[in-house]
Amino acid sequence: MAVIMAVAGSAIGLGNFLRFPAKAAANGGGAFMIPYFISFLLLGLPLMWIEWTLGRYGGGFEHGTAPGIFHSLLQKNRFVKYFGVIGIFGPLVIFIYYTYIESWTLAYSFFAVMGKYAALTDQPAMQSFLRGFQGLEHNACFQGMGWAYFFFLVTFALNIFVIYYGIRGGIERLCKVALPLLFLCAFLLMFRVFMLEPQTSVHPDRTILNGLGFMWNPDFAALKSARVWLEAAGQIFFTLSVGIGVILTYASYLSRTDDVVLSGLTASGTNELTEVVLGGSIIIPAAFVFFGQNEMQAIARSGTFNLGFVTMPLVLNQLPWAGFFGFVWFLLLFLAGVTSSVSLAQPTIAFLEDEFDISREKAVGIFGVAAFIFCQPCIFLLGKGVVDELDFWGGTFFLVVFATIEVVLFVWVFGMEKAWDEIHHGADLTLPRFYKLIIKYVTPLFLFFILGAWFWQEWIPVIFMKKVSAECRPYILATRLGLALLFIILALLVKIAWRRRKERGAAAQ
Amino acid sequence: MTRYGWILLILSWTFIIALNVFCFVKVLGKKR
Repeated sequence: MAVIMAVAGSAIGLGNFLRFPAKAAANGGGAFMIPYFISFLLLGLPLMWIEWTLGRYGGGFEHGTAPGIFHSLLQKNRFVKYFGVIGIFGPLVIFIYYTYIESWTLAYSFFAVMGKYAALTDQPAMQSFLRGFQGLEHNACFQGMGWAYFFFLVTFALNIFVIYYGIRGGIERLCKVALPLLFLCAFLLMFRVFMLEPQTSVHPDRTILNGLGFMWNPDFAALKSARVWLEAAGQIFFTLSVGIGVILTYASYLSRTDDVVLSGLTASGTNELTEVVLGGSIIIPAAFVFFGQNEMQAIARSGTFNLGFVTMPLVLNQLPWAGFFGFVWFLLLFLAGVTSSVSLAQPTIAFLEDEFDISREKAVGIFGVAAFIFCQPCIFLLGKGVVDELDFWGGTFFLVVFATIEVVLFVWVFGMEKAWDEIHHGADLTLPRFYKLIIKYVTPLFLFFILGAWFWQEWIPVIFMKKVSAECRPYILATRLGLALLFIILALLVKIAWRRRKERGAAAQ
Repeated sequence: MTRYGWILLILSWTFIIALNVFCFVKVLGKKR
């Protein structure tokens, strides 16, 4: 149960409350839910089961991270472990920028209580507040980025503190407290949003039911667009935290008799409840009541940060007890963020522990120092697009690549029959037989389709930085070089770890 | 909120809530 909560905590993140409603509203409303649930059944659940099973299988060989787990699958192959480097690289890169964004939610919950943005009444003023906080401009509210750095330090220290006490003593205990509190905050906000009355007699159509309609009324024409299907598949990927490598590490602590079918299904179900039922009922319906149909189109397309840090504080500012509800909103986001960020650190720490035989305390120390240094460009070069670049490579592109590698290795190299038996080992539930075909053919084809569509539509503008301004290009190039260097260092660490293992094995004989 | 909006909302919520009830009953049953 504790591991299920830890995986659910990892999956439930800022995206459940910000990214999902924005994507749904901008991509066909209720019609978006059709590709979304199809992706959930054909892509999300199979990948969840594959990762839980791979993790448990690798754990049996005393490997808790992707290089070792892949090596366990195919012990005669010398190169397969290097594919697993992505499973450490991805979560480390996401941790670097995610912790900083998470610190904004902590800062804003403090600002809400102190009434620091209470006097702001329109989008430009709130945007200016956010930019001032981020150090992108000097204004009446902020003269520098002292507040942003202070809350980053607090958030980073809190993450390291939880990670230091390990999965059982730190993360599972955090999730046991944070997840119920998160649900309480979300239900409280949903209830408050559902009680909203139309704000003026001039706009009697701005009701909560019409707000829900903005989110759920289907535009079936959107189903003809490939982009909508890709967005839905992408959302399922991000929300379930598959293709990152975190689930592998958590599941490596399971015993051979633990039920991965039920555990994977339960963690996915909890995440979907938070995303579709709670996440879909707060920000978009609330913003609709205050801003109406016309402005909502622009707001839904303005991006997730704008929704969370500009639109929602403005909405909550207009309610009685604005400070309290603002605090609850940002606390909700902070809890969702912290249960995810602590999980992102696990693959790197488990890799150092398992493959270099160093103590947890020392591994956390190494991770803490390295991650702290890597976080600095995100903080000081935010305006140069560094966070977006890290998000693209660590949090988007490599997720799909890694998931594709996992599926191909597990199903096609390890073998479908063995994979099917391994999934069902210790399971009470038996998956329907058609899932064998889905896992073997549909899921990998779906992933290849996503990768293919990306290469077809995006690779030239992305590789040649066509959408990046001339001013930002040197920074983006430096970020890419830094990422490449990090990847090479991790690959070298894998090489060193295996050489030492081989030497130890030879010495023992 | 149109009729189709309601249908999609109710179907989605029912599916998710039923999935959660099923899973937690199974997990808690197994724990005992």
